[in-house]
Amino acid sequence: MGKPQNITLKEAAGLIQDGQQITFGGFTIWRRPMAFVYELIRQGKRNLHLLEVNGGTHSEILIGAGCVSIWESCWSGHELYGKLGEMVADRHVNGGMIVEDYSHGHMVARILAGAYGLPFFPSAQSLGTDLLNPEFDSLGRAGLRDGSHPKIPRKKYEFAPDPFYDRGELLLLPAANPDWAIFYASQVGEEGTVRVNVQTYADSEVIKAADKVIVLAEEIVPESYLRLEPEKNIAAGYAINYLIKLPWAAHPTGSQGFYDVDADFIRTFYRASKSQETFDRWADEWIFDIPDHERYLQKLGIGRLENIRANPVLGYSTRQKRGTR
Amino acid sequence: MALNKLSVAAYSYSPMDLLAVAAAREVRDGDIVFTGTGLPMLAIMLAQHTHAPNSVCIYEAGSIDGRPLDLPTSVGDARCAYQSAVISGLTETLYGQLHCGYVDLAFLGGAEIDKYGNVNTTVLGDYNNPLKRLTGSGGNPDVNSQARRTVYIMVQEKRRFKEQVDYITAPGWRIRKWPGGEYVHRREVYGKYFRGGVEAVISNMAVFRFDEEGVMYLDTVHPGFTVADVQAHCGFELNVSRVKGETLPPTQEEIDLLYQVIDREGIFLP
Repeated sequence: MGKPQNITLKEAAGLIQDGQQITFGGFTIWRRPMAFVYELIRQGKRNLHLLEVNGGTHSEILIGAGCVSIWESCWSGHELYGKLGEMVADRHVNGGMIVEDYSHGHMVARILAGAYGLPFFPSAQSLGTDLLNPEFDSLGRAGLRDGSHPKIPRKKYEFAPDPFYDRGELLLLPAANPDWAIFYASQVGEEGTVRVNVQTYADSEVIKAADKVIVLAEEIVPESYLRLEPEKNIAAGYAINYLIKLPWAAHPTGSQGFYDVDADFIRTFYRASKSQETFDRWADEWIFDIPDHERYLQKLGIGRLENIRANPVLGYSTRQKRGTR
Repeated sequence: MALNKLSVAAYSYSPMDLLAVAAAREVRDGDIVFTGTGLPMLAIMLAQHTHAPNSVCIYEAGSIDGRPLDLPTSVGDARCAYQSAVISGLTETLYGQLHCGYVDLAFLGGAEIDKYGNVNTTVLGDYNNPLKRLTGSGGNPDVNSQARRTVYIMVQEKRRFKEQVDYITAPGWRIRKWPGGEYVHRREVYGKYFRGGVEAVISNMAVFRFDEEGVMYLDTVHPGFTVADVQAHCGFELNVSRVKGETLPPTQEEIDLLYQVIDREGIFLP
């Protein structure tokens, strides 16, 4: 309880144990704690169980580096900057990682149940699809639904009739309560109050669902400032365990009000992710040959960062050339 | 109609323009529309600028009825949220808007579609031993299971218009009732949550709709293509008995709006 503990990036990544279940805040290519992902890779984490509402550039990098043995989610890719999650695709086709597919609504339901301390959440979404085909229950097929793994539910889902209003059979999705949520916040107060700008994605649910929470803050600001408009905040400091102050920590993903998605960077990564060999070269250049976040920013250079820096009124960059006109 | 034809002669349009325009025409004024990234953004904005000024756009990442100054390149983009009525997150959009029944229309895409409108965005081949992994479901099946009408935008290829998709990611009109897995009409699976389903498929060659049994039929063929062209690029035998004629081409006004107002930076329409 109380304030989060200030900690360095290296110390924080060191807290994650091989085999633990983790999740991330953010959405596809927005507000992902990228600096933390790079550090997990530098520290050589293995057999992580990555459960997330949706994937993105961060998942692709972590999976490509061989850190993940189970991925439960609904989507991976880089939106406009790379259509396919090549690393998820490679592992699904060639093995090396268990892929458990749900829909986006199912994953939100799972995190929501976890956040609210419920064992499951009912939904009528994506009925009749192969997401519910019992033959495609990957964790079940791997023998991991025997009740001996505290973070893996005994069933992928269950059907139950509505006992109150006869609305028929509903899908029950099991709660997700990951060991860790690693979260990027726009602003955090001195006492740990968390604010994210613009869309909130599943961020407040992710914080509540996880056993422990590590926050990477773009800015630390006075508590009194965040408390002038409490409706813009999503969590109180007692919900956060560890805090890291780290500007540009979401690069190359976007952070509304601070910087846009670094489209060129993600496009370059996407091309590299099409084979393990080119991925490894990319990872050497951008992760292993760089000791820390400061050196990463130096390598990116001021020109690149200025190009994506957000217009403070609009919340996005007006300098980045986005199309052909 | 005659006016349209005249104006067509005076300018050219690309296949993407026609797709955007055909999709925009599916929007009815007042519709609450759930939209993904890319072409669907052009479609809803074009509709708002023309025949459907009271239609409203919800983006999955959390913005509700935004009025963007600049075209977003992602549903998570801050550009989506400018002047929105409400800014929220996924619990609100997927449950507070979609599950509770506000959404009238959704635009979606897919890698494969079958004659019942089932869509695959997950794997080619057997899920447990796939030939190719695709992006995964995302919100596609959630949106498609709970919007009143959905419109799919597809590339017209034999391998994409299949008798049966390899994996049902998003539910069409004949789907599987689990746990048994028997194929039944969508109404039987959704019961009291049945609100509608796939209404149209728009490809680079044609517009398709679905009959009372939920089977796809050819509705209109885009200018420059024939019914035979469409059949040649479709992997199942197409019902062509209800063809209405040619898809209405874009007007000069629509082209101007697309290139000079909506996508003035040339992001989706280079």
